[in-house]
Amino acid sequence: MNEVSRLLADYGPAFGQALFLTWKLTLLSFVPGFVLGVVVTVLRLLPLPPLRWVLTVYVEIFRNIPSVALLIFIVFALPDLNVVIDYEPSVVLTLALVCSAFTADYLRAGINTIPGGQIEAALSLGLRPLRVITAVVLPQALRSVVQPMTSLLIALMLSTSLASQVPFPGRELTALVSKIANDSAAGMAAFALAAAMYVATGLLIAWAGAALEKKARILR
Amino acid sequence: MSRSLEDALFGAPSPRARAVTRAASVAAAAVLLLLAAGIVLRFHSAGQLDARFWSFFVWPTTWTFLAKGLLGTVASAAMAAVIALALGLVLVLGRLARPRLLRWPSIAVIEFLRGTPTLLLIYVCFLVLPSVGIKLSTYWMLTLPISLSTAAVVAEVYRAGVLAVPRGQTDAARSLGLTEAQVFFLVVFPQALRYIVPALVAQLVIVVKDTTFGYVVTYGELMQNAKVLIANYHALVPVYLVVALLYCLVNYAISGASRRLGRPMH
Repeated sequence: MNEVSRLLADYGPAFGQALFLTWKLTLLSFVPGFVLGVVVTVLRLLPLPPLRWVLTVYVEIFRNIPSVALLIFIVFALPDLNVVIDYEPSVVLTLALVCSAFTADYLRAGINTIPGGQIEAALSLGLRPLRVITAVVLPQALRSVVQPMTSLLIALMLSTSLASQVPFPGRELTALVSKIANDSAAGMAAFALAAAMYVATGLLIAWAGAALEKKARILR
Repeated sequence: MSRSLEDALFGAPSPRARAVTRAASVAAAAVLLLLAAGIVLRFHSAGQLDARFWSFFVWPTTWTFLAKGLLGTVASAAMAAVIALALGLVLVLGRLARPRLLRWPSIAVIEFLRGTPTLLLIYVCFLVLPSVGIKLSTYWMLTLPISLSTAAVVAEVYRAGVLAVPRGQTDAARSLGLTEAQVFFLVVFPQALRYIVPALVAQLVIVVKDTTFGYVVTYGELMQNAKVLIANYHALVPVYLVVALLYCLVNYAISGASRRLGRPMH
């Protein structure tokens, strides 16, 4: 216990900042990733074979590529192609791309649960196909993916730890722990504190997700 | 439902609509081709299409080196998967046990391992454990953390499977006079496994992804070997592209296997 209180005295504010940065990276990558995932899902529904094919390849690539490999490519290889992206946007871009691919995948699964009769009914009411997508398909698909999206958000929050792999000016939790472990003997206490912060954040997201799920669930 | 959603939405187009979609298709293809051309041009103008950046992919030594890296990835991922499957079973047994003294610690361990990034656990094995006198090989510095965090996820997958087995199975087995252990291992768990095999295989994708952190502890897996190749040939873009492609192919194959296993059996 003594060790933890000394750690808090030395690094307390740093931990606060690190936790805040972890949250910030999570949100900054989740929101655009989610929106992009919705856009990809809708575009994949359109009857345009070339677009469908390319977007399917897009989803499979970013679903299967390890995030670190993607981040390292963006940070270290893209400058060779004269594309220089700063470290923080690189991390956000990496996570947003991965998030969009998983979102598209989950939404597609959500769409598959919608009974076909609903589409036929909507069309026979005179709605145009695009209007059917925005008014009938998407709302139900979004409500059915609350649970997988919650898991995705938690996974994304944990993935922000890979920001420690690039020389970032600010430190998120994992980078802070590795610095403390390098500088002092307080590594174990720092690890315990950071782990507690990660777990608490994850439980908070899971709780919020469960509350939202209860409201959004469609009983069939 | 035999018709896909796309068919239901756009299945019976009028001649006019058909003409519109055909034009839009051509336009989309043109835009995508332009985009691809732009990327190739980018490569060309940055000099990344020069022969010296790609010629070493002709040499078999390059591929044996990458294959060695892939073998390192497989060695670590396979061991992590085996440990996770076994440890996950221990955790789920604790999680489902009736005595609180067993259940609560199991919940705590599962939530802790599931809620902590694998990379953080790797740093603990890499930086913190040596300072308290525990020295692991680079292989275990990578494999142990992955095993631990996967075990917690696997435990939750097992639990979902066990809870999906109808309650009547347990009651029937008990009424036959089987012991609790027999009920679990002979009746409930084998049925639970059937439900969760696709999820377990899908988890393997995450294990393979996590082994990418091998370069952090300089364990010779695919990513680490890629770094060595880059140091030798100064060819960042081609090597990282090829390695990313290899990872995608491996994981795509695993996802495909998981999807096939997930199809109902007839």
